Amino acid sequence: MKIPMKWLREYTEIPADADTYMNKMIMIGDGVEGYETLGAEVEGVVVGKVLTCEPHPNSDHLHVCTVDVGEEEPLHIVCGAPNVAAGQLVPVAKNGARLPGGVKIKKGKLRGEVSEGMICSGEELGCPPELYPNIWSEGILVFQEDHPLGADVKPILGLDDTVMDFEVLANRPDCLSVWGVARESAVAMGTTFQKPEITVTENGKGEIHDYVSVSVQDPDLCPRYVARVIDNVRVGPSPKWLREYLFGAGMRSINNVVDITNFVMLETGHPMHAFDLDKVEGRQIIVRRAKEGEFITTLDGKAHTMQAGQLAICDAVKPSCVAGIMGGEESEITESTRQVMFECAVFDYASTRLTSRALGIRTESSGRFEKGVNIRTPLEAIQRACQLIHELDAGDVVPGIIDLYPNPVAPQVVTGSCRKIAQRAGVGIPAEDIVRILESLSFGVQREGDQLTVTVPDFRQDITVGEADLCEEALRVYGYDKIPSTLLRGETTPGGRSAEMALKDEVTSILTGLGFNEIMNFSFVSPKSVEKLDLPEGDPRREMLAIRNPLGEDTSVMRTTLVPDMLSTLALNMNHANESACLFEAAKVFDPARRTGEGLPTETRKLCLGVYGKQASFFSLRAVVEALLRQLGVETTVRKASASYLHPGRTAELVHGDEAVCLIGEVHPQTMDRFDLSARAILAELDLDQLLRLRQPMGTVKPMPRYPAVTRDLSLVMDEAVEIGPMLRALAASCGSVLEDARLFDIYRNPILGLNKKSVAFSFVFRAPDHTLTDAEITAAMDKLLKTAEEKFGAVIRG
Amino acid sequence: MGMKETINQLRELMAQELEKTEDKQSLEALRVRVLGKKGELTALLRGMGQLSPEERPAAGQMINEAREKFTAMLEARQDAIRMMERAAALKRETLDVTEPVPAVPHGSAHPVNLVMNEMVACFTGMGFEVVEGPEVELDHYNFELMNIPKNHPARDAQDTFYVDDNIVLRTHTSPMQARTMLTRKPPIRVICPGRVYRADEVDATHSPVFHQMEGLVVDKDVTMADLRGTLNAFAERIYGKGITTRFRPSFFPFTEPSTEVDLTCAACHGKGCRVCKGTGWIEVLGGGMVNPKVLEMCGIDSSVYSGFAFGIGLERIAMQRYGIPDMRLLYEGDVRFLGQFR
Repeated sequence: MKIPMKWLREYTEIPADADTYMNKMIMIGDGVEGYETLGAEVEGVVVGKVLTCEPHPNSDHLHVCTVDVGEEEPLHIVCGAPNVAAGQLVPVAKNGARLPGGVKIKKGKLRGEVSEGMICSGEELGCPPELYPNIWSEGILVFQEDHPLGADVKPILGLDDTVMDFEVLANRPDCLSVWGVARESAVAMGTTFQKPEITVTENGKGEIHDYVSVSVQDPDLCPRYVARVIDNVRVGPSPKWLREYLFGAGMRSINNVVDITNFVMLETGHPMHAFDLDKVEGRQIIVRRAKEGEFITTLDGKAHTMQAGQLAICDAVKPSCVAGIMGGEESEITESTRQVMFECAVFDYASTRLTSRALGIRTESSGRFEKGVNIRTPLEAIQRACQLIHELDAGDVVPGIIDLYPNPVAPQVVTGSCRKIAQRAGVGIPAEDIVRILESLSFGVQREGDQLTVTVPDFRQDITVGEADLCEEALRVYGYDKIPSTLLRGETTPGGRSAEMALKDEVTSILTGLGFNEIMNFSFVSPKSVEKLDLPEGDPRREMLAIRNPLGEDTSVMRTTLVPDMLSTLALNMNHANESACLFEAAKVFDPARRTGEGLPTETRKLCLGVYGKQASFFSLRAVVEALLRQLGVETTVRKASASYLHPGRTAELVHGDEAVCLIGEVHPQTMDRFDLSARAILAELDLDQLLRLRQPMGTVKPMPRYPAVTRDLSLVMDEAVEIGPMLRALAASCGSVLEDARLFDIYRNPILGLNKKSVAFSFVFRAPDHTLTDAEITAAMDKLLKTAEEKFGAVIRG
Repeated sequence: MGMKETINQLRELMAQELEKTEDKQSLEALRVRVLGKKGELTALLRGMGQLSPEERPAAGQMINEAREKFTAMLEARQDAIRMMERAAALKRETLDVTEPVPAVPHGSAHPVNLVMNEMVACFTGMGFEVVEGPEVELDHYNFELMNIPKNHPARDAQDTFYVDDNIVLRTHTSPMQARTMLTRKPPIRVICPGRVYRADEVDATHSPVFHQMEGLVVDKDVTMADLRGTLNAFAERIYGKGITTRFRPSFFPFTEPSTEVDLTCAACHGKGCRVCKGTGWIEVLGGGMVNPKVLEMCGIDSSVYSGFAFGIGLERIAMQRYGIPDMRLLYEGDVRFLGQFR
């Protein structure tokens, strides 16, 4: 909330510069975003009177003027404005003056005529049109009132104030007002807050009920409604001080009556509304829930159809105002308004919020009602408005007040122990200080020993839980900077990472060690991204949890697979001409079909790897995944597999027991096209929750071998179609416990081997734990192995 | 010529020939020539038969001494040759040690996780336990138990992603605090790191998905000063010596009193610089004493126990620490960016 310092200083003394004041306010909990010094860039501009104004001898549009700025000699000034004329009072930037934008005025010659300064326009002075009506219209600014010659123009133009921008906390709606902030300022500065004395002169005829009747049909949404009537309304412009205050607070001046309602809202925090009583059908105000389809055109000229249940201020037949949000165009104050009814009410915050959202209208008023307007103070606010009506001679206040307040709210009383307050704060605030601070914040305090009974002031609605609230109040004024630093005491706790996090960390360290970079993508995706994978009908990944209010279609469903994001990230890297990428992402996927006991979608931690580049191949990625699984103690075998988005001949799964733990494959060319991949890429997908279940601790070491090993190499020729993985496993199994290791070391393809044949070379290592193997034992093992090769795989020794 | 002269001659010959040998082969040839079966010294030994029995012992001794001597000379020369050969080999094998080598690929955890890991290490060291929970969360845990009732401005549709009336994408990791308090007894010391969601459009400083780490302590006699001490320890550990906290009053529905916490600007050590906009402080986290209403709603007797809680945005810390100018870089996955982290 923006507040001009002058306005604050009407109610409290602030003996400090803007920076000091700002810091003090921040440190007691009244956030300040910053401040703006109006007219900071304007210097040396004074009121001058144009004595003579003659056409410039060498120009068809310039004038040569003599201007009296209250000095001995008038200044010679060349002026180009079409509206300059003798007799005007104008702002004159003298030699050496400064203007906004770093402009410096210097004595000089314009087409041969000496010019000792510049007559300024409103724009050149950075003076907003709100402050000085019509100043932008035609050339130089011409003062409409009398001012002493040579006087600084800044106070005249309202350019001599500092506007503070307060960041009001959600629990302090009372500070969405000048009085609220002034009250806090007094506490921060150690001064006193003085509200203006409010007296209302009632010089209207008759009594309020002669003019209007008010009924509240839905007091649940409008617990208090206060109204007063002004007769003989004299609508006109507001005085300069009022325009200045409104401008500083960021509001536009409309006319005296509307400005008063806005001024009172800013000053007291109570939004007000003014109705043109002649336009109120039946001179009846009925506060009720709208009926479905009732229609209203609001002040901003927009038509709205209201929904049943939204609160409206109606006349005898129709809504005249959307309660607490915006008035209707029909009963708007105009120059011809004769009689006005002021409304100062309290509306339910939730209802205001919902209606404001539904109709798409947000105003200063709705914002305040949403945060909570004080139910105990609207009377004071409406009286302040009536006082201003009289002071500004804007009408005659009719005697009588309508105040519909069926369930008055009693002042809040909370209790607390000084010892516990200080204990919570962790600072030994003496009881006397607690009492003093609470009293300075307008709390009524009764102390009996350690025990406090505290009456919460009217304007505070946030004090509800006793000690904790009182602690904050006491501590923020006593000083957060006095909180000492102590370490945790008491029973210790072991602490540590969760098993899930420990696994994730381990996976990260293995993969980063193997050259992989971790990526992070949003958890929500476009439904199209999964469509692009061509998953079969009924695949659970096609059913995605939808967000009701997404930012856009691209982020509208929770992902069920990490693959599309991985593919997009690979594509981005290819697009950026990065030679290669080895990436992984570990994140959750969401399955709305499987719900937890609480009705939440099942969340599973997945791991996805993606690579491309010269070194990247199906086999290189398989090697990485196998290394990862080996490190985790998950033994696997590999078998052929398929997926709609993977190359049909280059896809496999790694299997532990009967469970597939990893799907790995090269991206299908069709999928490459859909994701704009310009190079082959390989993916692997794992499930971290599954790995957490399957992973094995290392166990104990094997004894060191005591007897020598014997290595035998073997080349076998077989059909191309024979899968080497299963074959090697079968061969190894066939020769029993004397086999220590079996590995592939070469695959040779040559037509001389025969049609569709390959020669595969293996190396077998034999060893017994308890004796040196004999030739006979090794030969026996090799025989079994060869027999298996021939019988099961049709493989024979290469001749 | 007597035996002695012959041996002396032979010795001289040896010395001369040894000088000339430059490799194992010529050395072996010399050995054969002198000490071999048909060698010259062996010939002398054979010639002993012609000597008288009286002369034989002295001559035998002389020849044996000569053999030992010659053998030693040969061995010495052999060692010398080996040294020369090794020196030559070493010279041959000289590399241009400055030649560029192919890089072993190195990877890195995501910068947000680098920061998270460091923080987790810091807090687990202080006895905090990591708890994690659902990202798609019940409104009840995300808001109601955090003292943010229905229609509170903080749950404005503009801030929260809804799945339906009861299910939201968690807007903070606080629901895990609630879940923890509901299922455990004090003393509680947990941190809740994780992914959270707010309906903010993507720009240089906003992202609808980001990461937080919250901490919660519930025990007897926990105070604001304990919060400060814990966060001071954290600040020093993460940012280095001399980094401390500044508390500023604030408001969060789930804490009372609440505080914004600034840390000494690590770039200028509090002197004021561009990073901290001249203030010497960087706004880093929020926290406070757990609101007694929250404790009570989570089944903890607030007259016996008190607690503190705090929450830190990880992206912001990562951006400050690594000088990342635009939040979008974190979620783009360009290896030119990711490859810089270690």
